[in-house]
Amino acid sequence: MSFEVILGAWVATGLTLFILTFLYQDNPLFKLAEHLYVGISVGYAIVKTYDTVVIRLIYEPMVKQGDWWLLIPLAIGALMLTRYVPKAAWMSRIAFAFVVGVGSGLAIPRVISSYILKQIEDTVRPLAFLATDGSTTFTYSLLNPASNLNAIVLLIGVVSVLFYFFFSVEHTGPGKAVARTGIIFLMIAFGAAFGYTVMARMSLLIGRLTDLIEYAQPQYGRATWWLLAITIATLIVFHARRKGTEPPQ
Amino acid sequence: MNPVSFAERMLHIDRRIIFFMIGLCTLIPLLYPVGLAIKVSPEVKSVYDYIESLPEGSVFLLSLDFDPASKPELYPQAVALLHHAFKKNLRVIGMTLWLPGTGMASEVVSRVAREEGKVSGKDYVFLGWSPGASSVIINMGQDLYKAFPTDYNNQPTAEMPVLKGVQSLRDVNYVISLAAGSTGIETWYVFGKDKYKFELGGGCTGVIAPGLYPLLRSGQINGLIGGLRGAAEYEVLIGRNGNAVAGMDAQSATHFAIILLVILCNVFYLLTRTSKNRAKQSRS
Repeated sequence: MSFEVILGAWVATGLTLFILTFLYQDNPLFKLAEHLYVGISVGYAIVKTYDTVVIRLIYEPMVKQGDWWLLIPLAIGALMLTRYVPKAAWMSRIAFAFVVGVGSGLAIPRVISSYILKQIEDTVRPLAFLATDGSTTFTYSLLNPASNLNAIVLLIGVVSVLFYFFFSVEHTGPGKAVARTGIIFLMIAFGAAFGYTVMARMSLLIGRLTDLIEYAQPQYGRATWWLLAITIATLIVFHARRKGTEPPQ
Repeated sequence: MNPVSFAERMLHIDRRIIFFMIGLCTLIPLLYPVGLAIKVSPEVKSVYDYIESLPEGSVFLLSLDFDPASKPELYPQAVALLHHAFKKNLRVIGMTLWLPGTGMASEVVSRVAREEGKVSGKDYVFLGWSPGASSVIINMGQDLYKAFPTDYNNQPTAEMPVLKGVQSLRDVNYVISLAAGSTGIETWYVFGKDKYKFELGGGCTGVIAPGLYPLLRSGQINGLIGGLRGAAEYEVLIGRNGNAVAGMDAQSATHFAIILLVILCNVFYLLTRTSKNRAKQSRS
């Protein structure tokens, strides 16, 4: 196994353990790992952006291929930097106007089509199917998203939740029943979202523990065991030092 | 011991004890797996079936729209999908809309390709990252070579055998976005599929999965692989058990522990509330 892989395993193990120490209490090891994470992320983003945007998409096409028209978007982009010069700051509005105009023009029709029209089309599904002999059929399977029963449940859910957020009418009498139905649908949606969130967070923990188990193997120099011992020892030292400097209650 | 005072003590338990319990529930099944059964859901099966239905040489674009923070959930999905695509001899185009994930995306594509004996430029290409997200998709829809004149290794894309006959997104047979946030599946649908009419599937973290089910139901995406569980289902389908399947026992154990804790917490809360109500009534 190469030295780079082993070094990477030790760094990953150490930073994972440092971050997990926060579960015990806030401490300098956690802060070190947190600051490293932020710093490295920003550094990586700057380097990759410079390499991709400045070198590959601007410098090389202009100098090697003679695409000098790229100076136009470059100039518009550069106007953003005038924000730092108070007297010329107004020029940045030209760049912002360009970004907002193009962004809105591209996004608004597509978003309306994708999120509103398509979703309305899906909500207003037939509540019963017409068979070839002219009779109507109704499917009851809750497990089939396309069944007629689910279409009715969906319709009730959409209407009741929309009514719950309709504040121009007081929620009394039959309106109260509809609004309460809407609340039930909302609670089910929040529960499903929370359940998925718990699953996602546990998956992240599983991912880190899987790596810690792997890096405890002899081929990685038993990184997990050594760094766990060092982390615990450091925490004990920090705890003892903090105890000595705490003011008396 | 008085059940009410026990319940009060339990409600004020040190949260580090709960962290420790959850940690043990995760660690023990990882060390001693029992191999609980994994049932494949229809939304994951649809992605698998669509890739299975593609003829050899079809163009498959995998957009790895996540960063290392979502690696435990989405990396196994990427590995499983790439193995499946390479096994089917599809022409694979890899890319990312997330700048922080560029290095990781390049590593997973090239590693799986190497394992399957595929050659960069001939069987697959990793295009890397380009700024703009939605603009990148629109550019690719108009001319793929203008959006990505070179690949991640700075090789000209126009001369690559893997991209022969591919001029824009209209020539791509299937796109899958593995997304950890809003720049991902929805962006690919809104600015890509809706306009350029390719088939779109998705893989996502558990956190954003509930928000994507409406797209699945309406047919805007043809399948959805949700979280580590979805990755495990896909690994079962391709018959190649990896990290996702290995993590399923731990996932089930932690879910069981959390459900148990929620029930116990409610019981303890109800016990203390009943005793407080009784005390109020006796005082009045």
